[in-house]
Amino acid sequence: MGLTNTPSDLLPGTLELLILKSLGSGPKHGYAIVEHLRVASKDMLHIGESALYPALQRLLLNGWAKAEWGVSEANRRARYYRLTPAGRKQLAGEREEFERMVQAIQYVLEAT
Amino acid sequence: MGKWLRRLAYLLRKSRHDRELREEIEAHRSLRAAHLEREGLTPQEANHASRRAIGNVLLAREDVREIWVGSWPTFWQDVRYGLRTLRKHTLFTVVAVVTLALGIGINTGIFTVLNGVLFRDLPAPGAHELVSISQTVDGGPPIAMSGFDTFTISEYYIYRDRAQTLSGVLVHSDPRETTLGGDVPQEVFGAIVSCNYFTVLQKPPVFGRALIEQDCEPGAPPVVVLGHGVWTTTFASDATILGRSIELDRHQFTVVGVAAEGTYGGSPMRTAYFAPLSTEPLLWPGESRFRDARTRWLNMIGRRNDEAGLEEVRAELGVIATQIDREQSPRKTRLTIERARPMTVPAAVRGPATGAAAVVMAAFGLVLLIACANVANLLLARGTARSQEIGIRFALGASRARVVRQLLTESLLISIAGGLLGTVLALWSFQTLVALALPAALPPEIPAFTWDLDFSPDVRVLSFALMLTMGTSLLFGLLPALHVSKPDLNGVIKQEAAGSGGSRRGGRLRGTLVGVQVALSMVLMISTGLLLRGLYATYTIDPGFAYRDVAFLSFGTDFGPETVVNQRLMDQVAALPGVEAVAFAAQTPLGESMMGGAIRLPGESKPQARFAEFDQVTPGYFRLLDIAILRGRNFTDAESANARRESSTHPVIVSETAARSFWGDGDAVGRTLLRDDMTGGDIALEVVGVAADAQLTSLGTIVPYIYQPGSPGGVLLVKSRADFAATASGIRSLVRASDPSVAFRVLPLEGNVAWWRGVSSMVTTLGAGLGVLALVLASVGIYGVVSFAVSRRFREIAIRMALGATARDALRTILGQALRPVVIGAVIGIAAASAVSRVLSSVLFGVSPADPIGLGGAALLVFAVALAAGVMAARPVTGADPTATLRYE
Repeated sequence: MGLTNTPSDLLPGTLELLILKSLGSGPKHGYAIVEHLRVASKDMLHIGESALYPALQRLLLNGWAKAEWGVSEANRRARYYRLTPAGRKQLAGEREEFERMVQAIQYVLEAT
Repeated sequence: MGKWLRRLAYLLRKSRHDRELREEIEAHRSLRAAHLEREGLTPQEANHASRRAIGNVLLAREDVREIWVGSWPTFWQDVRYGLRTLRKHTLFTVVAVVTLALGIGINTGIFTVLNGVLFRDLPAPGAHELVSISQTVDGGPPIAMSGFDTFTISEYYIYRDRAQTLSGVLVHSDPRETTLGGDVPQEVFGAIVSCNYFTVLQKPPVFGRALIEQDCEPGAPPVVVLGHGVWTTTFASDATILGRSIELDRHQFTVVGVAAEGTYGGSPMRTAYFAPLSTEPLLWPGESRFRDARTRWLNMIGRRNDEAGLEEVRAELGVIATQIDREQSPRKTRLTIERARPMTVPAAVRGPATGAAAVVMAAFGLVLLIACANVANLLLARGTARSQEIGIRFALGASRARVVRQLLTESLLISIAGGLLGTVLALWSFQTLVALALPAALPPEIPAFTWDLDFSPDVRVLSFALMLTMGTSLLFGLLPALHVSKPDLNGVIKQEAAGSGGSRRGGRLRGTLVGVQVALSMVLMISTGLLLRGLYATYTIDPGFAYRDVAFLSFGTDFGPETVVNQRLMDQVAALPGVEAVAFAAQTPLGESMMGGAIRLPGESKPQARFAEFDQVTPGYFRLLDIAILRGRNFTDAESANARRESSTHPVIVSETAARSFWGDGDAVGRTLLRDDMTGGDIALEVVGVAADAQLTSLGTIVPYIYQPGSPGGVLLVKSRADFAATASGIRSLVRASDPSVAFRVLPLEGNVAWWRGVSSMVTTLGAGLGVLALVLASVGIYGVVSFAVSRRFREIAIRMALGATARDALRTILGQALRPVVIGAVIGIAAASAVSRVLSSVLFGVSPADPIGLGGAALLVFAVALAAGVMAARPVTGADPTATLRYE
């Protein structure tokens, strides 16, 4: 509830998928995830913290990720998120689902 | 599963989780700041930029909490905040809570009564398995009807023997008035029951034995199971009662058992005895329903098998009914099978009874609605005052739903407090009220008996109260909450700052609410006005007969003229000191019963018959009650003496109304009327006289009345100059001397008139109480809203006055606008009330539906309240120095 900073052009649940994907290459802390998404999207996605952290908490709640405190590159305390096996499965499933969705949208848009 | 465990873990370590989230976000921010510094910003710029980029942290934390635990904690937060707000505005809270307590309390109370009468299960183990079975029958062999929906004894045997879905079927008669012999014979109510009665009800007697099948065989020695109540009172809990013999209607019955306390006796009245079916010829002499399969007199209750549902029972019994129909063609039976309740309302009168109950409930519901409108208005007014607080909430990122939820939580708190208070009051007061009111609501002629109804609160009452509470909180809370939370940030803040009259929308909504409230309270108050005028009419009405100084003697069971109710008694009473006149009548004036019949003129067909009431009187009747014979003659002694014999002529005296309805202005004397006899033939009645109208069966209504000559029997009326106590004791000793075994009562006739006045005064007091309550509630509401509306326009008034308007002009403008919804509401209310009053005037007498004093009075009252409210609210402004007001703003 409430206003979130989720880019409104993202489909619901997509943010979670993107986060899962960015964790797929190894544990990351929140800022690293944001940066990863920004760079990987060629500077198109800027995720605000007020959207990111609720999404991360949803991953924790569903058991798709685990969080542990560690030390960042700049020698600061940061919380790292790591995919769980359930998260990996979820990522695969969501990805398939998403691709089917995109495909479906494509079909509709290309239909004459 | 794991999700719930993780949730639990979160709750256990909530504060640590919160702290970690805060730290994490802060770490995130500093990482971003460091990044920005690397890109060449100064540390300070980097700090600022990172803070801007991070967004609404507060909201993110709120969201996170919701992800983990849903909205419960925020609910508690809302509750805590709501309690704080309500405590701060004590006056508002008290007014709102008391208003709702009155509304909810009064409705819960009335529901408690309805629940006890209509909805409770029978007081028996496994009561959910008990079903009441009733029937309506068209066609078939001729049957003498006795009660609604009842069965003949042979129909009972068929259902009992064939039904597989029922583990047992019992029958019981309607409550039977019986004379219980003793030193002082008394009248009691008892039931004639099938011998499996206690087995099917699963209520074994507390001691002695239940009835057994042999008791129900024809010619079995008469036995009886005593009711618990009569055993503890009349028989002083005598443990040696078993095997002793008691006298019921002069027949000896052996007591074989005492029923358990609260054993259902076939009606809401306390039952004195349970007698087996075989004793019916003794208790109901003259006609044997026990052997005769042609009288329907038995009420049937069955107990479902463990496996059988209500639907299966309906299906199976339906099949049996069809079999009976086939055997007795062209009979057509319709069965009604429902869960058994202590008070079965026969299907034939269920419609009207429900209608009456609905009218009563609607009146009480109106009070609750007015209460809701009141609180809604209060909330709305306060909501406008709170719009700044709400604006700030929006500015902090709260969604509309969030704000509505907060406001609704406050409403819920108010209605819970009101509901609790009201329910406690209702449960505490209504039981006492009902205990007092029920006996007083019975005519004096009915022997003293106790109701066996349970009015204690149960799950149903409590859920009703809960439903009302929740419902009202939505009813009065939702509209203001939605209205106040229109996310119109700039508007709200700007308008507040300017202190102007609030939004136009708010004004209209408030106006509508006032209008609704005025309309509702107009309906209640106009009804009250009518009720009060009805009350006045009751006390001033002349029943049309002389009831002062008249005593009447009535007998419990009429054992026939050979014992006491005869000419000799009449002569003896006439000889008592002070006695001026004596007469017998079949009906007590304004008594418990009446006798009706269908009457038509010769040549008219049966459907054209008109309804008339009948009485059989001795010749002294008219002079005793001072009812004038206007034309023709009185009955002769010979006609009276012949009354019980078959005779070819049937002289009658008709009332003026009856004469007018049949012959208009023509002379009635010498004309003939036809009356149905019970066998389908006609009896020709010859009019010998016309008597003045008298209200003999119900006070306030005049119906066509037809007197026939009567022989001694029924009620003895005695007019005496001596005081009532002396006359009564004289009559009592005469009756006891001639027959010590009859139960009888000597009562003043004035008591019957007083009872009639009492009933309508009870209805009226109740109605008037509701009306006054509505007026108080509506006044508070109207005052609050009008004064609020006026006070919101202080500034405008001040400007007008500064520009030279007089206080009078300013006041007139403001009041004109404030009173507009009042006027509209009043007009609608009057229209609605005229519909209600048409119903009321059929119940009350001396009141016409378009009663100008009632209508006008109520309307004036509402206007006066609204006007007073406006003037009082506007006085501080119009009286003050306008510049001071403007400066304050």
